[in-house]
Amino acid sequence: MTTLFYILGYLAVAGFICLAYLKIKSYMAASPLHVRWELYPVPHEGAKKAAYGGSFMEEKDWWTRPRHISHWGDIKGILVEVLCLHATLEHNPKLWLRTYPFHVGMYMLMGGTIIVILAVLAQMFGMDPQGGFMIFVSNVISAVVLLGAFCIVGGGIALIQRRRSDAGLKKYTTPEHYLNLGAFVLFGLLTLAAWAFNPSYFELARTFIHNLFTFTFQPLPSLFFTLNLLVGFFLLIWIPVTNMGHLIMKYFMYHDIRWGDEPTNYNDKNKEKIGEMLKYNVTWSADHIAGDGSPKTWVDVATTNPAAPKKED
Amino acid sequence: MKDNLRLSDVSTVEGQMVSIDPNTLPELSLDVKAMPWKPFTEEQKENTACILDDVCVLNIPKPKNKQEEEELVNKFLNGMRKLFSKENNWTFLPMLETSMDNCVQCNSCSAACHLFEMSGEHEMYRPNYRSEIFRRIYKQYVKKEPLAKWRYGDMGLNWKTVARLGELAYRCNLCRRCAQTCPIGVDNGLIAREIRKLFSQELGIYPRELHEKGTLNQMKVGSSTGMTPEVVKENVEFIDEDYSEITGVGIHTPFDVKGADIMLLHNAGEIMAWPENIAAFSLIFQEAGLSWTLSSKAVAYDGVNYGVFYDDAQTARIALQHMMAAKELGVKKIVIGECGHAHKALTVIADRVIPFEYQVPRESCYVTLRDIVMSGRLKLDPSRNNFPVTLHDPCNAVRLMGIVQPQREILHKIAPQFREMPCHGVDNYCCGGGSGFAIMTRNNIDEWRGNISGRKKMWQIGEAFKDCLGPETKKYICAPCSNCKGQIRELLEHNDLYSKNSFAYGGLVELIVNAMSNTNPGFIKWEGDEE
Repeated sequence: MTTLFYILGYLAVAGFICLAYLKIKSYMAASPLHVRWELYPVPHEGAKKAAYGGSFMEEKDWWTRPRHISHWGDIKGILVEVLCLHATLEHNPKLWLRTYPFHVGMYMLMGGTIIVILAVLAQMFGMDPQGGFMIFVSNVISAVVLLGAFCIVGGGIALIQRRRSDAGLKKYTTPEHYLNLGAFVLFGLLTLAAWAFNPSYFELARTFIHNLFTFTFQPLPSLFFTLNLLVGFFLLIWIPVTNMGHLIMKYFMYHDIRWGDEPTNYNDKNKEKIGEMLKYNVTWSADHIAGDGSPKTWVDVATTNPAAPKKED
Repeated sequence: MKDNLRLSDVSTVEGQMVSIDPNTLPELSLDVKAMPWKPFTEEQKENTACILDDVCVLNIPKPKNKQEEEELVNKFLNGMRKLFSKENNWTFLPMLETSMDNCVQCNSCSAACHLFEMSGEHEMYRPNYRSEIFRRIYKQYVKKEPLAKWRYGDMGLNWKTVARLGELAYRCNLCRRCAQTCPIGVDNGLIAREIRKLFSQELGIYPRELHEKGTLNQMKVGSSTGMTPEVVKENVEFIDEDYSEITGVGIHTPFDVKGADIMLLHNAGEIMAWPENIAAFSLIFQEAGLSWTLSSKAVAYDGVNYGVFYDDAQTARIALQHMMAAKELGVKKIVIGECGHAHKALTVIADRVIPFEYQVPRESCYVTLRDIVMSGRLKLDPSRNNFPVTLHDPCNAVRLMGIVQPQREILHKIAPQFREMPCHGVDNYCCGGGSGFAIMTRNNIDEWRGNISGRKKMWQIGEAFKDCLGPETKKYICAPCSNCKGQIRELLEHNDLYSKNSFAYGGLVELIVNAMSNTNPGFIKWEGDEE
């Protein structure tokens, strides 16, 4: 049973990585070079232009000028969005009051997990597991877990309540929304229980991760922590296959689509990509595309005139 | 007729699904009259699927029997499969898929939508209403995901669902203001356009103004206005003559000058409806000493590309013709006139749709004009424009291209009483005529534009001029986009706001010419001014 539990742990982590990879791969494979579909403001246009939503196309003969991309602008833009949920705060403040603590709680637990992993690695490389620094880390984790779990539970319940009471949201809420939020609330409650009924949450987490890293399949001393992890395993697999996958895809939706204003560079690679796409077979059936029914590529479609007088046989 | 509308109602309700009482719409500071809906005729009810609201854009024939009903549904599903294939939709597939999979249904988009707000927050005009129906159909019937009904909600699929979804795609101006507010990056405007595309490219269903009278006509005779090359040249010659007399400066508009620096691409609608715009461009370019030309080649004298509103094939065909004409003339760049969607189609969309060999650099006229005005090449007297002026931001050029400041720099230089509308720049609202509505007038579409889609713009205009409303002060609404001007004209005319509020509307170039001190004064006319 203990071994099975650890196998589930490995599967959950591997499953998350694989599903996230497949999701990204599917996005990349959907088109070698999709059309530009940007939306301003675009933060990498530089602080001055980004402040009012301007673009490089405001410049005369813009194609002759060097492009100035502010990568810091992009980083700042995405950090403000991810850490503050800025768009929700600006456009849906009532929801922000509920979803912000929920997200902050998740960030805290994710951050806590990373710290514990680093602590385990440090221990494996010789750091004293009972030393002063580890005690400090233990106290930090204790605080982060407590606060994070409270935020998840409080935010999660508030989000469920809003979905049930707001007439507009209610119509768009499906059982899956409740399952997702419910699973997080349960996860948070079990985290709190494991924290409350054990001397050190850090010790539990460190031991488990150390066991995972060293393939030491020892039983865990806490039922609450075991259940806590089981729900965590489920969430790891579940997140990428639901709309919560925005955790992974938001990067592309912002950087590649909304902020993807790069004028096409007609290098050999892009010329090849465009050439390849224009040779795809088109199977749309409407008369103005299918015409006489003969097989067509996008080149054929773009270079035919459906309004031209029909040739006499 | 349902008030408490649910998503599943699109498949179950018989007859017209909703109706908006025009008397319950939000109040405005301007005296804007509600336009009563004209009832559908018995023949329409019998033969046409006018079953969504008080408007009917697509005129989908009502299936006559079970077989025709199934055929409509099956064609729709076939189209949906193609929409999600790389070969058929490499242009937009990544954006579509991410918008299908990642929406968390927070409805933050609703408050950003002028249609939702100005319909009195009617459920059906929520940006997510149509997207969610489309999503559920896709997951349940095309992707056939396990537990789809439970996970995403059950959605009945029958001919009514299909007909209503097609019609719903035309209750969106494609302004993408909703997408701008989405915390995740979901784009309901894109989904509306993709639905339009599916109907056009698979089922051959489109608004006739966009297709038969629009893109097909452009490809057949040269312009969606119906003007042939000969007629265009003749009309422009008349415009030159008329406005030489009006302005006191001899105007000559050049055609087909090989090797010119600039090919200017007008929306040909200007030639017929707003000749002063054509004349103003010619006068400014001439006085600035630019090397420029118009093309008289079919398609290339009309910058219109209605394809961007509904069909990728038509978009590519027209954009290619525009580029090829410029290549043939050997110009250094195309300058796009005052037409928002032409900006977007040719500059941004065509960037990756047209092969490298045919590419010619494109620039917005706002930028070219800014360069002319700021360089001091024109003699300008801003006191000639000493009346309140406000600026409408065309969504396609501003929110979707980030061209925000050039037109403002011009206005600050030539219009002493320039003031912004509330929610301007990239936060602007659509005029209400966007995505093709400005050129449609049948089946209550003009009532829709007057009552709902243009209402927020009227609110913005009222707020911009709130210190000087009334007939005493002449005011100018600067709308540097042909379709937006058409929409604003309708709103002003219907509500008699020319006389009630002394409004005039027009583009940016008219205001520049009005300030040129070497022309006769009074280029811009208000109601009651002598011609």
